[in-house]
Amino acid sequence: MLAVDVKNIKKTFVTKQETVEAVKDVSFQVEQGEIFGLLGPNGAGKSTTILMLTTLLSITKGEASILGLDIVTKDKEVREKIGVALQDTGIDNLLTGKELFFTTCRLWGYSKKDSEKRTMELLELVGLTEAADRRVKTYSGGMKRRLDLGLSLVHSPDILFLDEPTTGLDPGSRRVLWEEIKRLRDNGVTIILTTQYLEEADELADRLAIIDEGLVVAEGTSDELKASIGGDVITFSFENDSDLKNAKNVLNDAIEDKDQLRITVENGAAKIPSFINDLNKNGIIVSSVSASKPTLDDVFLEVTGYRLEGSAGSDSSNELEVK
Amino acid sequence: MESNRSFFVQLQVLTKRMVLRVVRRPLAELPNLIISAFFLFVYDGALGGVFGGTASGTPFDFANGNFINFILPVSIVSASLSGAASGIYLVEDIESGVFKRYQSMPISRWAIILAPMNVGALRVLLQAGLILLIGKFIGADPEVGNVGFLIVLSLAFIWGMGFAGYSVAAGVKSGSSQGAQAATFLFFPAIFLAPTFVPREQLKGWLETAAAYNPTTYVIEGMRSVMVQGWELDILFRGYLAATSFAVITLTLAVISARKATEKA
Ligand SMILES: Nc1ncnc2c1ncn2[C@@H]1O[C@H](COP(=O)(O)OP(=O)(O)OP(=O)(O)O)[C@@H](O)[C@H]1O
Ligand SMILES: [Mg+2]
Repeated sequence: MLAVDVKNIKKTFVTKQETVEAVKDVSFQVEQGEIFGLLGPNGAGKSTTILMLTTLLSITKGEASILGLDIVTKDKEVREKIGVALQDTGIDNLLTGKELFFTTCRLWGYSKKDSEKRTMELLELVGLTEAADRRVKTYSGGMKRRLDLGLSLVHSPDILFLDEPTTGLDPGSRRVLWEEIKRLRDNGVTIILTTQYLEEADELADRLAIIDEGLVVAEGTSDELKASIGGDVITFSFENDSDLKNAKNVLNDAIEDKDQLRITVENGAAKIPSFINDLNKNGIIVSSVSASKPTLDDVFLEVTGYRLEGSAGSDSSNELEVK
Repeated sequence: MESNRSFFVQLQVLTKRMVLRVVRRPLAELPNLIISAFFLFVYDGALGGVFGGTASGTPFDFANGNFINFILPVSIVSASLSGAASGIYLVEDIESGVFKRYQSMPISRWAIILAPMNVGALRVLLQAGLILLIGKFIGADPEVGNVGFLIVLSLAFIWGMGFAGYSVAAGVKSGSSQGAQAATFLFFPAIFLAPTFVPREQLKGWLETAAAYNPTTYVIEGMRSVMVQGWELDILFRGYLAATSFAVITLTLAVISARKATEKA
């Protein structure tokens, strides 16, 4: 049975001022026991998709099921199976971490004794035992995210939805969270997470869908997506803008990206000399050229026509976001 | 592990959590309490000399010799307005996203909404009780005996729940704690367009008319009847009727608006 099966869901918000098609047509399947990533920029419709799948928002059109349970007609049952850490869910700042876990356990229906036990287990699991008796107000961003993750695990859900679990964290804290998420997956929990970080999708997701302007524009494993570009990416830089413009006419398939041209071909390295030859013949001077294996960044550029903000086509993309 | 999700456990857990929130910022309790106590001391200080014992035998002897008995209901009504915190508590949870977290769990939505009401009710009882104690300490002495204090407290409670309902409805409707806060402006007309300082017969013109339409008038008069006059059952009945009607109306509005808030968008 599929963990999550989403078929052409759509969400239109009608407000007084305007009608927003937040999610236009999203479909994907998630197998049990995998980490599935939804990668997309701000406003792509990630959170809206998660809210619909977690039964917190109605679906305008389409259908979806979780472990075979229809999310509209079986919403109560679905809620029992899923754990949810939303992007903007509040944490009660005035309570301590321990109190929050205990309260949540009680609300899920555990007895006082079981709640105490589960609280200790979960505090340990997300590494907050030391900070358990401090008010959440004093927690760092990373600690709050771990707390949030822990709270979504109280009832041992089979399927976990995490909306941008690491946004705003420094690379170190992000890694800690990644390890925890992977450990959960290794224990059999299915995880659907959204992210706007390429590196995160690449490192964490077993499979992913790229979502842009409410549409799924690509889906597969990270390697499949990279391979779908076909071959290597050759990047050309030029002395000046007019050379760049002329070169675009010579290399018809090239995509302009910042001050560079990029072209995807098989056997990139071997083809560089002939490209340079063509350009030189047209009086265009190439200032630098390189060939590389495609990255997820290149995939993103290919399917959406633009780069994900903050990424510079390098592995340090995430560090740019932080600071 | 066993799991037992009873409504009462959920309500109890959510109420306890909210009590913790209140206890952890005690300063938020002070303004309303201080204003209520302020009414008692300042009005007694300013007017007690005129309308108190020395008024005996004059047309201003409406306080029956004890102005504290007469003015205490105003302070109590003011204290009961602390019930309006319910709406603010609820909206804080909506704004912070805690509300949404609860919605993503199998929790009764009535428990989610009743918890802040419970805490509002506790708050009313505590604040009004405290003011009554202060009143007794400085000389309040109900004409009908100490049971008068209980009657006053019960009226304050119903009245306070009315304001709790009102604040929940206003807060949920506006969706922001500013909205809930702004709604508290109603307190001024509620308290002052009423026979606050003198009996209704001595109000003039438009104020007399306004007071006649203000339910607070009947609540204050009901309280005053047991404090100052003795058993005046029809006045008392009107007091309970005004408070109860107000509470029923606002609580219904609260339920309707809260039901909307917990529906899926
Ligand atoms: N309740 C709403 N009413 C109207 N429009 C909405 C509502 N919620 C979201 N939208 C719009 O829908 C679009 C998708 O929003 P969504 O929050 O799903 O994006 P996202 O991919 O999660 O972005 P981010 O990375 O910033 O969290 C945006 O244009 C947003 O403005
Ligand atoms: Mg989002």
